[in-house]
Amino acid sequence: MQASWKPRLAELVGPDNFSDAVIDLVSYSSDASEHSIRPQAVVWPTNVEQVRSVVLLANELGFPLYPRGAGTGLSGMATPSTDGLVLDLARMRRIIDISIQDRVAVVEPGVVYADLDNALAPHGYFFPPDPGSSKVCTLGGNVATNAGGVKGAKYGTTRDYVLGLSLVLGDGREMKVGGRNIKSVSGYDLTRLMVGSEGTLGVLTEIILKINPKPTATATALAVFDKLEDAGGAIVGVMSSGILPSVLEILGRETLQAINQNTELNLPEVDAMLLCETDGFTQAEADYQMERVVEQFQANRARSVRQATAAEEVADLWQARKSAYAVLARLKPNFVLEDVTVPISQVVNMLAGVQEIAGRHQVSIATFGHAGDGNLHPQVLWDAAEPGETERVEKAVDELFALAIELGGTLTGEHGIGLSKAAYMGLEHGSAAMETMRNLKRSCDPNNILNPGKMALDG
Amino acid sequence: MQIQGYEFPEELYYDPEHFWVRLEGDELVMGMDDFAQKLAGEIVYVQLPDDGKKLKKGKKLAKVESGKWLGKIFSPVDGVLITVNEALETDPGLINRDPYGEGWMYRIAADDVSQVEGLLHGHEAIEVWIAAEIAKHAEQA
Amino acid sequence: MSEKHPLLATFRDQIQRCSRCGFCQAHCPVFGTSLRPALNARGKMLLLKEVLEGSLELNEELVESLFQCTTCASCTVNCPSGVDVPTIIKAARKEMVGLGACHPAFVAMDQVLEQNPNIYAEDEPGDFEAPRGKQAEVVYFMGCVGQYREEEATEAALEVLGHLGVDYTLIDEVCCSGVLEDVGFDIKPALAAKNLELILATGAETLVTGCPYCFRTFNNKQIYAPLKEAGVEILHLSQFLANRDLGVITDQVVTYHDPCDLGRHTGIYAEPRRTIQTLAPNFVELPHHHADALCCGAGGGVRGAFAKNSLDMARRRLAEVDQVGAEVVLTECNSCVHNLANAKLRAQKFRVLTTAQFIAELID
Repeated sequence: MQASWKPRLAELVGPDNFSDAVIDLVSYSSDASEHSIRPQAVVWPTNVEQVRSVVLLANELGFPLYPRGAGTGLSGMATPSTDGLVLDLARMRRIIDISIQDRVAVVEPGVVYADLDNALAPHGYFFPPDPGSSKVCTLGGNVATNAGGVKGAKYGTTRDYVLGLSLVLGDGREMKVGGRNIKSVSGYDLTRLMVGSEGTLGVLTEIILKINPKPTATATALAVFDKLEDAGGAIVGVMSSGILPSVLEILGRETLQAINQNTELNLPEVDAMLLCETDGFTQAEADYQMERVVEQFQANRARSVRQATAAEEVADLWQARKSAYAVLARLKPNFVLEDVTVPISQVVNMLAGVQEIAGRHQVSIATFGHAGDGNLHPQVLWDAAEPGETERVEKAVDELFALAIELGGTLTGEHGIGLSKAAYMGLEHGSAAMETMRNLKRSCDPNNILNPGKMALDG
Repeated sequence: MQIQGYEFPEELYYDPEHFWVRLEGDELVMGMDDFAQKLAGEIVYVQLPDDGKKLKKGKKLAKVESGKWLGKIFSPVDGVLITVNEALETDPGLINRDPYGEGWMYRIAADDVSQVEGLLHGHEAIEVWIAAEIAKHAEQA
Repeated sequence: MSEKHPLLATFRDQIQRCSRCGFCQAHCPVFGTSLRPALNARGKMLLLKEVLEGSLELNEELVESLFQCTTCASCTVNCPSGVDVPTIIKAARKEMVGLGACHPAFVAMDQVLEQNPNIYAEDEPGDFEAPRGKQAEVVYFMGCVGQYREEEATEAALEVLGHLGVDYTLIDEVCCSGVLEDVGFDIKPALAAKNLELILATGAETLVTGCPYCFRTFNNKQIYAPLKEAGVEILHLSQFLANRDLGVITDQVVTYHDPCDLGRHTGIYAEPRRTIQTLAPNFVELPHHHADALCCGAGGGVRGAFAKNSLDMARRRLAEVDQVGAEVVLTECNSCVHNLANAKLRAQKFRVLTTAQFIAELID
C-alpha cells in the first residue's frame, strides 16, 4: 500500500475520522481472538457516502479493507489478515427508528446491543439474540457474524430476526435487500446470505431487525446430575417435552471444579449441572413450562433440583454459569473458547468425546454451553511457554472438530469461521458448497478487497 | 492595533484584569483580551450565569478556567446580564481562536454607561499598560 | 539478560492475562466518549504487551493513550481476567517519565510542586474565616481543589463542622502531592514533611478531609505512615458525618454520584448514602451506582491534560441525572463536583453540589 492513499482517505472521511497513529494501529491489530496483524490506517466513517467512497478507493488502489464493530469476535473475523485499512463502524450509531406497529427496530451498524435493549425496554420489547458480549458488541457485528446467545434454545439467533439490510458491496455498489416486511419470498434471500457473511461480501450500513414483546415472567431451575448420560437424557427430554425453555445451559465437571477452586460458590462436583429458564406472559405460563422441565430432570435421575422465581434467588442460581468464562480465563496464560455445535441428541456424546480427547492429549478442556441448541463451549486452557503444550492443544482441537463433524455437527454455532477455523472448512463443506461460496464472493467483491483471507474463501 | 505581538482593537475599552468592553448604546459586550488568552492557554471552561443576573461594578461575575489557570471576571459596571455566548458552553476554545469576535462572552445592560470611562482606552494608554504587563509577567516567569 | 522495562515487567503476567475480550469497552469512560479502542483498557494492554515483546517503543507516541486514563478502575472491576489496569498504567507512566516521555501537563505539574505549595501555583490561600494552626481535636484538610477551585464547597464543609460544634482547626496545608504518583512522578518529600509537621503540631487525634484523593494518600502512602503511628485517625468527611444528627430535612429529589476514589477505590458507599438519605428521603440512585458508577472524567490527571475529553465524560455522567429526574446531584469529592459543575449545560436545571454544600444550604 502506498503512502499516497492516506491523504486521499483523510479527505474522503475528514481528518477527524482518519488515523494512522501507532496507538490506533496496535489497538486495531486484533479482535478477541489470538490473531494479530497491524493495519496501516483506520477510518471511522460517519455515513453511507463515506463508506462507499472508501470501498471504491480500495478497489481503485487495491488495498484490503477490514470492517469492524466492537472487535469482540472470537475467531479473527475483524483482525487484519495482511496490513490494510480497518473500517470501524462505531461512529455510525444512530437508532434510526423503533416501530412497535411494524414490529421493527432500524439501526446503524455501530449501535451497541445494550443501547438497543435500553431503547426497547420502555416499550416492553426486546431483541432476543443476546450474545455474551451484549454490553459492548454492535449490531453490525452481530449481523455479520450471526451472533447467538443464551436464549438460542427458544428464540434462535440473529439471522432469524434480520428483515432487511442496506449495504455497500465489495465492489462499491450499494444494495438494499429485504425491508420492513415480516415475511417475504421475493427473489433469492440475499438478506439471509449477508447474515453471517463476516464482512466478506459487503459493509452493512443499515439494519432492519424484527423485535419481540418481552415476556414478563420467568421461572428458573438448577439441576445436578451425577452421571453425564443422565444429563444428556434430561437435555433431550426437556427439549422434546412439548415446551421450549428460553434457556438451557450446561456446565461440565471440569468447569464446576474450576469454579470451586477459584470462588466460594461450593458447587457439587458432579458430571454435569443444567441451568434452565422458562418464560411467559404470566407466571402461570412460565411455571407450567417449568413443571415439564422439572419432570424431565427427575425422570433422568437429577440428584437435586433447585427452583426460583424471586430475583435474588434467580441471580443465585445463575452465578455458576455467569462466572464460568471468567474463572476459566484466569486459570492458564492461554486459552481458546471453541463453539462446536451438534444435534441436541448428540450433546452428551460430544461432551464425553471432549473429555476423552482432553485426557488422551493431556490438555485441560473445561466445557460449558447452550445445551438447548446443541452449542457447546469447550474452553481449552494451556501455557504456551510450556514446551510441547501448544502442539498437544493443536492436535486436541483438530480432533474436537473432527468429532463434531462426525456426530453430524458444525464447526461453529455462533462464533464464526474468520481466521481461526478457516483451515477446517473442508471438513464440513463439500466442494460444491465451497465453490458456490467462492463464486458468490467473486460476484460481490471481484477484487477481493473486503476482509480477504477469511473463511477459506481465497481457496 | 498590534502591541508587541498582541492584538488590541483600538476602539474597545480594557479592564486592567484583561477584559475588553465594547459599547453598543446602553449595552456592553465583554470578552477576554488577546494577552490574557495567550497567557492562559486553551480555555476549557467558561462560567455562563443565568440571564437576568444582577451585576455590581467590581463584583465577581463569573469564572474562567484553562488547564493551569483560574480567572475571575469582575463586572465593569452596575447592571444586568442580558445574555451570554452559549457557543462557549461546548466550545470555550472560541475565546482563544477569536477573542474579539466569535469568542465574546457576556452582554450586559448598564445602569450607567459612563462607568466604563474609567477603563483603559486609546492607543497610548493601552501601549503603556501592555508594556508594563509584559514586563511584569516576564519577571514572574 | 536484564529487563528493558523493569517496572513494567513486574506486571507481565497480568498484561499477558488480558484475553482481549473487550468487555472493558462497556465501562471505560474514555472509550465511552471517544469510541477509540486505543484509549480503552484493552487497547492499553495491547500496547504494553507489544512493548514487553519488544515490537513497540515506550515513547512519546504512546502518551496520548497511556496518559489518558482516569484510573477509575471500572475496567478492573468488570474484567473477567482480573487485570488491574490502573496499577499497570501507573507503572507504565513511571517507566515513561524515566525515559523522558510524558504529557507536558504533568511535567509542568511536577515542576509546579517543586516550587509551590499547591498544584495551581496559587499564592493567596483563602482565609475561610476559620481557626488555623491551633491545638484542636480535629484537623480539617482541604486539598488543593477544595482550597483553590471549589472554595464554596470548603466553606460549606467548615460551616457544617461549626454547626456540629466540632473542635477543629485548619493548617497552612500544602499539596499532599499524591497525584504525582498517578502520573509517573513521586510524592514530594518536602511537601509531605510539611503536612506531617503541621498536622502533628495540632495534637489532633483525627484528620478529616473532604478530598477522597488526599484521604487515600494519607491512608495508603508510606510517607504518611507517621500519622497512623502517632495514633491519628484518618477519615473522609462522609465517614465523619455518617452517624451524626444534622437536624435538617428536605423533600427535594436527590441523587448521588459515587466518586471513584471514595467508591471503587476505597469501598465507601454506605456512609455518604446514610447521611443523604436521612436528610433527603426522596433519594434516587443513578442508573450506574456503587461499584458500577460512571467516572466523572476528572481523575488520573485527565482533567489537567485532556480537559475537553474530561468534560465530555462528565456530561455523559450528567445525562444520567436527567434520566432519573433528580433536582440535585450530590457528591463527596471536590474534583468530581468541579468537573461535573463545569460540564453541566445551562439547559440542565438540576444542581451539582457536595453533600456538605447541600447540608449548609438546609441549615441556613
